[in-house]
Amino acid sequence: MNNDPKTRHFLNRAAFGPAPGLKTPVNTPTWIKSASHHRPIDVIRKVDGTVMLPDQRQPKDAKARRARFLDELTELNTTWISQMVLPETLWREKMTLFWHDHFACRVRSAFLSQQLNNVVRREALGSFGDLLKAVSKDPAMLQFLNNQQNKKNSPNENFAREVLELFTLGRGHYTEADIRNGARAFTGWAFNPKTAAFVFRPRAHDEGPKTFKGKTGNFSGDDILHIILDDRQTAQFITEKIWRYFVHEGPPDEDIVASLAKDFFHSDYNLHKLMAAVFSSSWFYEPRFVGHRIKSPVELLAGMLTQTGGRFEDPRAALFFQRALSQILFQPPNVGGWPTGTAWIDSSSLAFRMTMPALIFKNLITEYVPKDDGDANNATNKAATRNLNCAVDWASLAQQFTKASTGETLAVVEDFLLATPTTAANRKLVATQAARSTRDDEWMKQAFTAFMSLPEYQLS
Amino acid sequence: MTSRRNFLKQSLLGATGSLLVPTFLKAFENPNAFAETHDKILVVVQLSGGNDGLNTIVPYRNDLYYQHRPSLAVAADKVLKVSDELGFHPALAPLQGLYDRGYLGVFNNVGYPNPDRSHFRSMDIWQTASPERYLQTGWIGRYLDANCPGCSVADQAIELDDTLSLALKGDNIKGLAMKDPRKLYNAVHHSFIHEVAQNNTAATVNDPTLHYLYKTLAETVSSADFLYQKAGAPSSGPDYPQSDFSKKLKTVAQLIHARVPTRVYYVSMAGFDTHVNQQAQHQRLLQLYSEGITAFVEDLDKRDRMKDVLIMTFSEFGRRVAQNASGGTDHGTANNLFVVTKHLKQKGFLNNTPDLLKLDNGDLIHQLDFRSVYATILDRWLEVEPKKILSDAYPTLDFI
Repeated sequence: MNNDPKTRHFLNRAAFGPAPGLKTPVNTPTWIKSASHHRPIDVIRKVDGTVMLPDQRQPKDAKARRARFLDELTELNTTWISQMVLPETLWREKMTLFWHDHFACRVRSAFLSQQLNNVVRREALGSFGDLLKAVSKDPAMLQFLNNQQNKKNSPNENFAREVLELFTLGRGHYTEADIRNGARAFTGWAFNPKTAAFVFRPRAHDEGPKTFKGKTGNFSGDDILHIILDDRQTAQFITEKIWRYFVHEGPPDEDIVASLAKDFFHSDYNLHKLMAAVFSSSWFYEPRFVGHRIKSPVELLAGMLTQTGGRFEDPRAALFFQRALSQILFQPPNVGGWPTGTAWIDSSSLAFRMTMPALIFKNLITEYVPKDDGDANNATNKAATRNLNCAVDWASLAQQFTKASTGETLAVVEDFLLATPTTAANRKLVATQAARSTRDDEWMKQAFTAFMSLPEYQLS
Repeated sequence: MTSRRNFLKQSLLGATGSLLVPTFLKAFENPNAFAETHDKILVVVQLSGGNDGLNTIVPYRNDLYYQHRPSLAVAADKVLKVSDELGFHPALAPLQGLYDRGYLGVFNNVGYPNPDRSHFRSMDIWQTASPERYLQTGWIGRYLDANCPGCSVADQAIELDDTLSLALKGDNIKGLAMKDPRKLYNAVHHSFIHEVAQNNTAATVNDPTLHYLYKTLAETVSSADFLYQKAGAPSSGPDYPQSDFSKKLKTVAQLIHARVPTRVYYVSMAGFDTHVNQQAQHQRLLQLYSEGITAFVEDLDKRDRMKDVLIMTFSEFGRRVAQNASGGTDHGTANNLFVVTKHLKQKGFLNNTPDLLKLDNGDLIHQLDFRSVYATILDRWLEVEPKKILSDAYPTLDFI
């Protein structure tokens, strides 16, 4: 077991926490190597070479379709949760989750959602330029941001606006005229709904001259993306966002971020290099950045599975927890992505988070009912399971963690699970809880469950 | 009657000892804290899914309405007619009773510019009161923030649900979600949670994020104790219809009768997304809604608390004017909004009937921005400066 505090912090941020089976000493170079491992999700298939898009206005088979989309969305969602906790893909999956939030997108079709997710996964640690171009031509994103409706004679600015405001430059670094002209350049960017492939429709494209960010020309959508990438502000904006997600949610350290952004820009937006610079720095491990980040619901859930090696008896349990804590993969609230930080924590969500380990590991029953979002066609409103149980090999964990004395064992488990030490009072509470069982595996289960139920476990 | 401040001092200092969190207590010693004597209460009812406003308040004299909805329109002879142009869906007979008593105000054509037809986005727009920007706070949460700087009193706004809506989340203060006081009490008295709360005071926690967690935990426990002590026993009020919605309203009445100092209650009811075979489902939902609201008003009236209450009902959007091919309706735009209170200066239908001649691509065009209704309620009912909460000034209305 590697309980070095630096390794733990690295794993908390670059992945979903240390995993019990992970015996190799973890240092940045081996992780960088492991990040090249890339495993697309391939559970939703085309039927007869065609994508079936949900269409609520076809009453004949509406019910059957809804049932199918329920199954597909559930399968896609739970497959990703299972994949997040595979030791060989941890870092890439965490990056994919980060981009899943940055390039927030919500469409009904599980196939399109899967396709975008794989694009993001493939490019997650490559060049941000490639990632941006791939996402901008992705059918799910074009659909979500109404670019199918963006045509020469009736431009739709939604896509251009969000590309500038949320994906690249950020508010205050473009004008409304830039949005209008950018939107004109993206006219004709569309996709074929049968094949789910990008198509350029020349007849819908506005060939006229456009002025964008001070330059004038007959710009295409690709030209606009190049101009955006030529602007250092894009590197600054992305670096700040990476900082807030992986380093610290508070105000950024301006000098460090500026220096990272500069190197990022000159490396042709090499994400691998940027992340390596973060994780191999000395400041990343300073106490001011350790243990202050509130885990998002998915991070919390993936962390609990990673740290126990557990698997849900019914994979749909993962969906129940996402709904209960208001973060459902593939269903961000809007194109701005999910909330962050203390916005996750209120009276009921905190109480639920503190009860969650007992629901998962101790078969506690809950009457908690997640909210219905009102959408009759949102299949996940109905996807429920009451089997929240998770199979964990507690005997093996007991073997790995048990030391000569109870006190030592508790200290090792605490170090493994908590980003920062808890109080003496809480330690006593955990000890009392664990002492209820005499069998090694049961004892370990009680100890893990109790530590994971503490407010401290909400932090990484 | 134990005042809130005394209750907290007693229970936190006396009975449970170290549970007390100094910053938490300070909230109650803050002279700006919510005055306990201030009795005006807002109840927000959210109809999730997009209620079909045109089949709720029916323009029964309008030929266009019947042309657009050949099989879904409410027949003129079934409509409960209350004006020359408008009437209630027959399932709203109880609501018509409130109308007759002068308790009901109906706004038509309420919406916002560039309407969004996605449920989640439009609901967020109504809850954050911000169509322009994506916000992490809701209008009631910001009301809590603005009304009581420096204090943190989750149970000033209560949502009757297991999870808390964005509407009730402020930057510093977030409302409390619970199904009923007994359930909440039992949940936090689950021994582990309670012991963690008791064993640790936020004061001993230096890290601001962890401090926030322990503060939230302490508030949850103290709110649970307070609400349970005040209103734990089920009330012996009048009978309510059997429905989840009515059960929530009954709990709200129980809390109001117990005079807990909560200023805002939030109740939602789902199922209004009627794309397919709308008629029976919509009929059932409207019946549950109007029976529930009426029982609630009667319950409050009997013990003379209705004078302190204003109920606002909204939905994230209306439906399209024309019915679809599945005997239902798809997502639309502007919609009606109900206000129920004894203090209406203007009663009944408070603005124009929907204009079915001038449509935007088959959708109603909004004539009243919902933020004007919020601004009026904030200004004249909750008595706070609306601009602090809505960030812009919206014209207030004269209905209260």
